[in-house]
Amino acid sequence: MTPRSRSMFWRIFRQLLRASRGRLIVALIALSSGAAISSALLNINLDAEQKLTHEFRTLGANVVVAPPSSGSDAALADAAIMDRIVGPPAPQIIAAAPYLYVAANSGAQPVILAGTWFDQVAKMNSWWKVDGAWIASRDDRLHCLVGQAAARQFGLAPGSKIDLRAGERNVSLTVSGIITSGGAEDSQIVTSLDIAQNLAGLPGRVSLIQLSVSGTPPEIETFTSHLAAALPGLEVRPVRQLAAAEGSILARINGLILWTITLILVLTTLGVLASMAALAMERSRDVGLMKALGGSVERIMHLFLAEAAALGVVGGTIGFAIGIVLARWIGGRVFGVAISPRWPVFPATIALAVGVALTGALPLRLLGRVRPAEILRGE
Amino acid sequence: MFLRIVSDSFMRKPRRKALTAAALALGMAVATATLEVALDVGDRLAHEFRSLGANLLVTPATDTLPLEIGGVDYRPVDAGAYLPEGDLGKLKTIFWRNNVIGFAPFLDVPVEIAAASARGNQAQGPGSRKIVRETAGETVRETLIGTWYSHTVAVPDGSKFVTGVSSTDPWWHVDGRWFSDGAEESLIGAGLAHRTGLRVGDTVTVRSGERAHTLTVTGIISTGGREDNAILAPLQVAQKLAGRPSSYRRLLVSALTKPADSFSERDPTKMTPADYDRWYCSPYISSISHQMQQELPGIEVRAIRQVAEGEGRILTRVGSLMWLVTFAALFAAALAVGATSATTVLERRSEIGLMKALGASRRAVGLFFLAEQLLLALVGGIAGYAIGLELARVLGIGIFGIAPTVRLVLFPIVLVLAAVVALLGSLVPLEHASRVDPAPILRGE
Amino acid sequence: MAPLVQVEDLEKRFDAVRALGHVSFEVESGEWIAIMGPSGSGKTTLINILGGLEHPTSGRVVVDGMEIGQLGERELTRYRSDKIGFVFQQFHLVPYLTALENVMLAQYFHSITDEKEAAEALRRVGLGDRREHLPKQLSGGEQQRVAIARALINHPKLILADEPTGNLDEENEATILHLLRDLHSAGHTILVVTHSQAIGNLADRRIELEHGRLARISVPVRSGAGST
Repeated sequence: MTPRSRSMFWRIFRQLLRASRGRLIVALIALSSGAAISSALLNINLDAEQKLTHEFRTLGANVVVAPPSSGSDAALADAAIMDRIVGPPAPQIIAAAPYLYVAANSGAQPVILAGTWFDQVAKMNSWWKVDGAWIASRDDRLHCLVGQAAARQFGLAPGSKIDLRAGERNVSLTVSGIITSGGAEDSQIVTSLDIAQNLAGLPGRVSLIQLSVSGTPPEIETFTSHLAAALPGLEVRPVRQLAAAEGSILARINGLILWTITLILVLTTLGVLASMAALAMERSRDVGLMKALGGSVERIMHLFLAEAAALGVVGGTIGFAIGIVLARWIGGRVFGVAISPRWPVFPATIALAVGVALTGALPLRLLGRVRPAEILRGE
Repeated sequence: MFLRIVSDSFMRKPRRKALTAAALALGMAVATATLEVALDVGDRLAHEFRSLGANLLVTPATDTLPLEIGGVDYRPVDAGAYLPEGDLGKLKTIFWRNNVIGFAPFLDVPVEIAAASARGNQAQGPGSRKIVRETAGETVRETLIGTWYSHTVAVPDGSKFVTGVSSTDPWWHVDGRWFSDGAEESLIGAGLAHRTGLRVGDTVTVRSGERAHTLTVTGIISTGGREDNAILAPLQVAQKLAGRPSSYRRLLVSALTKPADSFSERDPTKMTPADYDRWYCSPYISSISHQMQQELPGIEVRAIRQVAEGEGRILTRVGSLMWLVTFAALFAAALAVGATSATTVLERRSEIGLMKALGASRRAVGLFFLAEQLLLALVGGIAGYAIGLELARVLGIGIFGIAPTVRLVLFPIVLVLAAVVALLGSLVPLEHASRVDPAPILRGE
Repeated sequence: MAPLVQVEDLEKRFDAVRALGHVSFEVESGEWIAIMGPSGSGKTTLINILGGLEHPTSGRVVVDGMEIGQLGERELTRYRSDKIGFVFQQFHLVPYLTALENVMLAQYFHSITDEKEAAEALRRVGLGDRREHLPKQLSGGEQQRVAIARALINHPKLILADEPTGNLDEENEATILHLLRDLHSAGHTILVVTHSQAIGNLADRRIELEHGRLARISVPVRSGAGST
């Protein structure tokens, strides 16, 4: 097109939009709403995975580092490896807790004592229920937590004192709280790592290290193999129990959201289609006329396609803006934390909106087949 | 007379009416499908969570304090209590029996691996495998874990229930195959296999005190837990080795539960009868545990909190997310239908003008159009519901692998929704159109 | 010189209905032809075929040396913009474009737009100062004048007018006919479909159709010689 024709194109285009503004606004409302919801859902989809993965990480360790076990005697590793694990910047590691297990006695009754770092355990094992007070510092030498079965056995409550003996060493501790974990800890006494190491006479040793590592299952696999290579002589195992469930649940949610977006886009196309059909009816005479004047189908269709594309871009932009607000609100309600806007959502929303607009403009495209004689005669 | 005009007008211009009804149908189909799937999402995800394995642990009520490190119980064999295997069928008779997906009893026996032979007794040669005992002549002491893989339990009501660790620990991975129920077969933990060089097809003799059994290795198991360094065998084998027929020490149960809330955590003995009924008839972990304790004497049931809590928390989050997503879809459906309604009413301005010119009052015109829209909504709603059911089936299978249960209650709901949305959608343009002066419309402007 | 329009044995059927049959005639360049007949006689169909808006079922139609019966859609579009100027009974102006823009629209579809030339065309039909008005701000007669300016802007070989004064009152009718006579004097070839005897009398020749067939071709007797 020559420059003069191009300006004529835009002249006709502007007048066309102005003349049909009523219908176009209805179409725009439909498109913007659909785009807003789709945009919000896309954002949520991208973010939910991260948020839910984070949720899963509070369900316990997903990687365990331990010396290769052989037989029933628990082998020990050097606590110094903790530095090698958490020393170099490892943003993937959310929590790392070493454990040392000691067979001890309280009076004549044997009991297992587990020494660890409470601050790390608090991050990893969110399901532990504490009746009493949690121990905050990993260096606390005075207090212990007692599993509910052990507490029942020894008749302990928060504030009670308990004496523990292992070999010739003994220690006296105050019970800070009773824990219900639904696991082995219910029959154990949990103290800081220092206390366990002193009681066992094994300074600087640990039985195993539990890690909570962030990332998707494949990323965790990669991390595990890298760590295994960096720690020869030790076993680095992923805890498979959670991974499968996590993977499949995330996949389902993903599927559900994507399907919903598809359905919503179909519905939006419907809404736009209705307006466009009405527009097409109104314009059929003008199209017939233009054809009679020698206007080619291509030229005429360019106008309508430009109109649909403009509708798509404007609707998509408005939709995206509303979508951010919507996503924030949903995120707040569901996760208690705002959804962070993901920038790929913007071009995706525009693309989808333009796609919907072009598809919904089908009635206008069908006008291309209009036979001028019929239209002009039909008046 | 009114009805006649409505039906006459309804029959005219069938194509445009068909288009409106189609739009309504599509909108309502989406509404139906999303509602169906949403109502089912909770159940589906609960099933997904069963891949986390057991969420209930059953132990003898009178048990001594376990001495567990890394899943291995260091108590002497005769310390502690045992439970009768014969009672287990009763688990499938409790009120929530259909929510009991599976269970597996466990009996651990410390054993010596006395001898092992390679398959087919191949001659030794350079590079051939060596089945080694621990160095320096020590015997290999390990735990033999007796359990069920796929075991048929007789239920008191006469039916049979097949269950085992396939339900309670579905993430366990076996290279080879599981042992057959009650056979002299076993699985070797991956770590143990690595240390001893045992492979599938080898035989291993295990000894506990005076008793010994020779078991064929049918598979290598890796779980990431204590099983990696143990031998797994059918429960009967463990019972014979321990000299404790028909006993088990620990039971893992996998049950479909409803996330715990403040109601479920109340003390049942302090509930009013009405509250107690409501609690009993909801599949909370607390009520299912309670029902299990009623059926099986001498047991203590505890939630495996790691699984139960996690499930509860995530299900709640995901549940709310799914409902919000559903509402988004419903809103979009309503919008689409409303827009279509609005558009078609705007189309009919000339008709409205004509009717007014013929002397119809604004109210009559309004009623007439609303009646027509209602009729369209009815037709569209019915069609939409039918299509929606099919769409729900496709979605359910596509996302969850299983179709959602058909809930007939959705039918009236969808119809009402269609009517409301169609009416609301036409109200504004109708209001606008009925005020308009008919003359210019009739002139064709 | 070959006649501008040659129609040989033209037949047009719409399914089972035969709108035109065995129609043959010629039109010389510069002639004013009136196509007349009762309603349903096929007048509009004939003019639509000549204008490339319909395909003949059989027969030959040659305009300016081009056989248009065989042309494809694209070529017909080109033909219409190049050689034909339409004037319709209902004016058919684009309602959201000004008078000037309506004329420029025809330029746009032909080649390039020229605002000055379009303005000049409007001035020649007496609407120079109304060029920024929308059709709804113009009277029927003014709208038809805009339509005539539009029809002329690309210098067509043939002007086809279908009942150009059918929607106009007497005063406006006179104005339009005056315009058409000026065009005729200037040498344009005009085909007018009409059922008005008065208009028929202004033409050089009358082609009369009845039931789709050519009834007769006559030359009207004009009262007074040298009418302007």
